[in-house]
Amino acid sequence: MKTWRLILVALVAVVPALGITGCSEVDENTVAIGYVGPLTTAAGLYGRNVQRGLEMAVAEINEAGGIQVGERTLELQIQSLDDQYRPDETATGARRLLQQYRTPVIFVSHAGGIRALQGMNTRQPRFLIGGYSSEPTILEAENPLTLMLPPRYDAYAPPFVEIMRERFGPRLGLIPTTTVYGRQWTQVVTAEWERQGGEVLRNNGVDYNTTTDFTGVVSRALSENPDVLFIGGPSQPTGLVIQAAREQGFQGGFLMMDQAKFEEILDVVTMEQLEGAVGVHPQATYPAPGVPGLVERYYERFGSDARTIVSEMAINYQAVHLLAVAMQLAGSTDPDAIREHVDEAAQVLPEELQILDLTSVSSLGQLQRDVYAAQVRNGEFEPFFVPAATE
Amino acid sequence: MTLFLQQLTNGIALGSIYSLVALGLTLVYGVLHIPNFAHGALYMLGAYVAYAMVTAFGAPYFVGVGAAIVALALIGAAVERVAFRPLGTTATPVHFIIVALGLLFFLEGLADVVWGPDFRRVESPFTDVATLFGVNITLHRILVIFASIAVMAGLFYFLKRTITGMSIEAMAQDREGALLVGIDTKRVGMITVALSAALAAVAGALIAPLVLVFPHMGEAITLKAFVIVILGGMGSVPGAIVGGFVLALAETMAGTYVAFAFSELIAFAVLVLVLALRPTGLFRKGV
Repeated sequence: MKTWRLILVALVAVVPALGITGCSEVDENTVAIGYVGPLTTAAGLYGRNVQRGLEMAVAEINEAGGIQVGERTLELQIQSLDDQYRPDETATGARRLLQQYRTPVIFVSHAGGIRALQGMNTRQPRFLIGGYSSEPTILEAENPLTLMLPPRYDAYAPPFVEIMRERFGPRLGLIPTTTVYGRQWTQVVTAEWERQGGEVLRNNGVDYNTTTDFTGVVSRALSENPDVLFIGGPSQPTGLVIQAAREQGFQGGFLMMDQAKFEEILDVVTMEQLEGAVGVHPQATYPAPGVPGLVERYYERFGSDARTIVSEMAINYQAVHLLAVAMQLAGSTDPDAIREHVDEAAQVLPEELQILDLTSVSSLGQLQRDVYAAQVRNGEFEPFFVPAATE
Repeated sequence: MTLFLQQLTNGIALGSIYSLVALGLTLVYGVLHIPNFAHGALYMLGAYVAYAMVTAFGAPYFVGVGAAIVALALIGAAVERVAFRPLGTTATPVHFIIVALGLLFFLEGLADVVWGPDFRRVESPFTDVATLFGVNITLHRILVIFASIAVMAGLFYFLKRTITGMSIEAMAQDREGALLVGIDTKRVGMITVALSAALAAVAGALIAPLVLVFPHMGEAITLKAFVIVILGGMGSVPGAIVGGFVLALAETMAGTYVAFAFSELIAFAVLVLVLALRPTGLFRKGV
């Protein structure tokens, strides 16, 4: 009995170790692309939408026979690790990916994690960061190996404010989420609202991830009679805020951060409750040539397991295809060579892969494109153009 | 004034959920001396069972609530038998904490495998809004308040007037004494955890239509429930009820008249104050 137990303990201790050394061998015909993001916790859905976009693009590339890099034909592979939205875990995860899989590119889906990696990606081993965050500060680091995949959020503030002010009136109530991202968005929108001559009411910020009940905070904000509410955080809690506001009789508009997505908010509220909201354009109907094809392929691939199509999925999907083209143009999987060729790749990307209508990649690594947002008017999403923010 | 009444109503609705969750936690602590960190996971499972019944089987909402209570009572009994009892009576609190945390990760992981990380919604049959003296409240919130009060009254009756209930109280007062007068402490222990899980299920299933159902939904409320239980006195049933309402009202009012960013802070400030002035909690005499 005792011997058996000892053997069992030994096995339990040794097997995972074998597992780790076993999979550290990356096949020489495979390039591993890393992803470190929240796969569990309240942000788990967000992180897995990103992961799904990455994996779908890789599967498509491999099914089409891989990529031609120099003389070799390579297959791609995604290696994901969970960081629970914590920057320290992102750094640990990235180190592990570099050691085990020598990943030339690591995707990260939050600003804190991106900034943590910007401290290490220019030392050996160098790697390219696929940064999925709209936070402009990730560009301020002037990191030569960072790509910023979504548009900067400060581009949204001027048109959003203008539309809401004209449509509903001058008083802006604030119920933003209190993450770092949320606070900075609040500063940007407050400054813009005041610049355009409106009045900003008291800040009722709450943490969208830990708040169980939004009725209290909504009551407080509505007691000041706002015309427009600035809200946002993860989509579904944002939906709860909209629901609470409508239930308490709020008739005005909603100015939403880009983290909240209309299509996911609709899981919580009705289109009628969403009337008068402004936010990022729903992905499945985004005006770009590759979108209908993507929607079709997505449902074909995931079938009954498909979730609502959101930009988390689409933008990262697009990015993998972009990097694959860049690797082929560079004839190498070296991170610096890839970075050098992404701008060119953005210009030659086949039309059916143009999910976002990319035009170029800026010197700081921002993916450039024409951005459209949407407001809900008469029960329909009405798209409008968002001019680019200056870097 | 309207704002005050509105916030009072909001606070009472939130407080009734806080109290239900804290009640289950305090029962298990009082009887078995286990700080059950997995309590929030049981609350989460209760919400998921209601969700599954309503969505997958098309059952009416109240059938979903009933199914959640039954399912969680069984899960609670199983948890006691499989996770807590094998530790025996000689285990230190650290052992129980480790087991409870393990259970928390296991149950959250399980929910993630079965239902995924998606946010789920349970439809309530009561979506209309009532307006009284300028106060808006959805009918479902009124239901939550009254159902919680009914459950608490039922629990009081059970503990004070039935043999099983009295043996739970006896065991909470003195485990060895209870053994000496012939109470089957193992059985009572199992009933207590089942009851605690059922209370968590009621709370989870009642609040499900008002919030988002996802694998980690229980974490924030577990933290609150621990504050309430310490506030009211570890193991005290009236303490958990009063504590739940006190905390919810303190949060809502502090949010309204100070700032919502401080409402979490104020919850813990109240806790520190109680610990400093009355370390045994408001409702417990001696430790």
